[in-house]
Amino acid sequence: MKPECFKNRLYYGIFLPVIAVSGFVIDSPYYLQVLTFIGINTLLTIGLNMLMGYAGQISLGHAAFYGIGAYTTTILTVHFDFSPWAALPCTLVVTGMVAFLVGLPMLKLTGYYLGMGTLGFGMIVYVLFREWSHVTGGSSGMVGIPSLSLGPVSFSDSRNYFYLVWMIVLVCIVFCQRLIQSRVGRALRSISDSENAAKALGVDTKDLKLKIFILSALFAAMAGFLYAHLVTFISPGSFDFMVSIRMVTMVVIGGMASIWGALLGASVLTLLPECLHAFADFEMVVYGLILMLIMIFMPRGLTRGLMDIYERSVSKQI
Amino acid sequence: MQEILQYLFSGITNGAIYAVIAVGFSMLYNSTELINFAHGEFVMLGGLGIVTLWGGSLLPLPAAFVLTVIGVAFVGFLLERVALRKVSRSQPIVLVIITIGASIFLRGIGMLIWGKDAHAIPSFTKLSPMDVFGAKLMPQSILILAIVLLVVVGLHLFYRKTLTGKAMQACAINEKAAWLSGIPSDQMVLLAFFLSAGIGAIAGIIIAPITMCGYDMGILLGLKGFCAAMLGGLGSLWGSLVGGLLLGISESLGVGYVSSSLKDAIAFLVLLLILYIRPTGILGIKEAKRF
Amino acid sequence: MSAPCLNRFEKPPLLRADSISKAFGGVQALLNVSFEVSEGTILGIIGPNGAGKTTLFNVITSAYPPDSGQLFLDRKKIQNRKVHELVRLGIARTFQNVELFENMTALENVMVGQYTQTRCGIFAAAARLPWAVAEEKQAREEAMALLSFVGIAQYAENRSGNLPFGWQRLLEIARALAAKPRLLLLDEPAAGLNAVETRRLGNLIERIRHQGVTILLVEHDMNLTMTICDRIIVLNYGKILAHGTPEEIQSNPAVMAAYLGTSEVSPLIYD
Repeated sequence: MKPECFKNRLYYGIFLPVIAVSGFVIDSPYYLQVLTFIGINTLLTIGLNMLMGYAGQISLGHAAFYGIGAYTTTILTVHFDFSPWAALPCTLVVTGMVAFLVGLPMLKLTGYYLGMGTLGFGMIVYVLFREWSHVTGGSSGMVGIPSLSLGPVSFSDSRNYFYLVWMIVLVCIVFCQRLIQSRVGRALRSISDSENAAKALGVDTKDLKLKIFILSALFAAMAGFLYAHLVTFISPGSFDFMVSIRMVTMVVIGGMASIWGALLGASVLTLLPECLHAFADFEMVVYGLILMLIMIFMPRGLTRGLMDIYERSVSKQI
Repeated sequence: MQEILQYLFSGITNGAIYAVIAVGFSMLYNSTELINFAHGEFVMLGGLGIVTLWGGSLLPLPAAFVLTVIGVAFVGFLLERVALRKVSRSQPIVLVIITIGASIFLRGIGMLIWGKDAHAIPSFTKLSPMDVFGAKLMPQSILILAIVLLVVVGLHLFYRKTLTGKAMQACAINEKAAWLSGIPSDQMVLLAFFLSAGIGAIAGIIIAPITMCGYDMGILLGLKGFCAAMLGGLGSLWGSLVGGLLLGISESLGVGYVSSSLKDAIAFLVLLLILYIRPTGILGIKEAKRF
Repeated sequence: MSAPCLNRFEKPPLLRADSISKAFGGVQALLNVSFEVSEGTILGIIGPNGAGKTTLFNVITSAYPPDSGQLFLDRKKIQNRKVHELVRLGIARTFQNVELFENMTALENVMVGQYTQTRCGIFAAAARLPWAVAEEKQAREEAMALLSFVGIAQYAENRSGNLPFGWQRLLEIARALAAKPRLLLLDEPAAGLNAVETRRLGNLIERIRHQGVTILLVEHDMNLTMTICDRIIVLNYGKILAHGTPEEIQSNPAVMAAYLGTSEVSPLIYD
């Protein structure tokens, strides 16, 4: 068995029991909710990582898709009395359409210009959420989003919701891993190494970038859907520019081009603010400092960085 | 006529400030191919610095101005020396994330020093507004415009006429070749950070009298400056000026004729349109490097 | 137009270039360049630096469009097509400055080369549909076979960026072959290789030709060019200076003048 494959099994071996047990052991709804948020952020990060880490395309406006997902399901369920499960496919379709229309012209930009373009898109969507009050409720947002239930199982219970979200995360992890190891995944990774060579081998890079852009938008929409039905209240502030930036940070902190890195990055950056509440006014200073330190000492992300430390300590013992 | 002139005046004033911020982004990009997301925080530090030093009547205006600029420039210097130097060979995105961390850190520091409330200072001049075809032109606006032109022309001359300026450009074009011809590229990058942070501080100082200064003012201003730099074409000095003015004017016309709440959306819509037509900005020539 | 390179008893040409011109600003990189390549042959393109060899390559591979003139692959017009479409028509290339996907393994590099030969999409891959799994397995075997063909099978799982330069060149050729091209364009494949590696490369190119792949070769190594090419075109200042068999080229006075700057007759091959 290849070492990569073994490592991957090992990660599953850690991941699955940890999720199963923590859902079982933890009773406090607060902690369960924090863990659920980690799951939602993991979805966002995995999706963005497909775009950034593998295809090498930056997006500084991904919170827009997260927001479109959350607002679409909210509007459908609150204004039009859709059941959440009927709203879900609509949400995905709407977000996918938006991603298609935005990505088509946007992805001809490269580097910082692509960053700026997506950032601008994110700002426009945010302003729309804030100002289109009779549809989106304006800056005060919308309340009364129904919680999810499936037959006898009600997901208003935080433990059930926790399991629901992490099930979806698991499916997405498997989905992405399979994708990365496939023909499409290889073509995708080839783009970030040399787009010229990829084209010269017959990869329609423009088309592929667009597909991945849409895919990552769909992941964000799914996360938005789960977020909306978890907190049952949304406002534009949850989808502003800083949220996009935080998503990018999660990807890079965890480690680009690594699915497990996305999980780690999302966990660290979700837990960090919770732990830093104790610092009160110093919270921001410490948060910024930690962010800088991680990147300075582990420029390839936490996953690689921790692995390097581990390997170094092992080789020292020998 | 009077109305449109008034919008133009306010647009040009804001645009000039965006332009100074954009110049800071652009010149740093020129020397390091890095976008410094903490640049908005230099603007914040500049604004709040002048609030304390001059607004708190500790120093006369010129002394406060110089001290603030040098102080903030030194912060930029430290950012490069302490945080970025060590990882300067990493992927650009890593550096970007470090600057994001730095911006959060500096914002936190700003909050600790100046608190969560916004501060205001009086106008630098005691002159009364001028009347131009019925529209009011504030003396502060003229002052801002003058300072902006001074900065841009000064930088232009610096790049064209001085050896250091030329060396800095050489580093930007090909670091290895510059190093081989004996240019200390590390010091050039350091100098670029120093200058860029100083220019950011100037933007903060001139904006202080016409807005409220708070610890979080850097986010939006930084964003607008970034936007202006991209509009004009990254790395182009005059492009930043054009981009800033264009952004300022389209914003104020948007406020006047469409809706003030949609102001930000309009600015970014203009940006997207221009990027669609010219994917490297109005005056941009070279391809922007990968993130 | 006349058929300069076509022996009338051979098959019709695989590639035909019809008075291609291309200028960059004031520099005329190519002027009325016409030639033909018959199926299964190796055509060498030589010329001093700046003669327009790489420009010609880039025009053929649609990296940029010609100002005028036409290109045909098997009578099908191929100019102004997207780069990635050309691969499906059967044109593959290597790059002068090796452009591998450095962060991927050698095997994965070759498997990207198979992109046009396989069809598994996003959802087929994620669902691991039986046909997709079978396709993947077959692709892997074929890629391994290609690596053996160029002689680097033992490095299949190595990160391609870590391979020594000579093997990177071979890997790039294997990757291009994975697209099952009818026409293979090699852009200075011997640059940076030592004498032994170059000889091995010459052997490899011969073997590729024997599999029925037509080859267009830009190369500075005269020894290699003269031994393996069936015909040679000499470019100078964007124009065709001479064309013919290697022997004809070697004894062509105009070519010597261009290469050596004199009319003095001296052998082109030095060793």
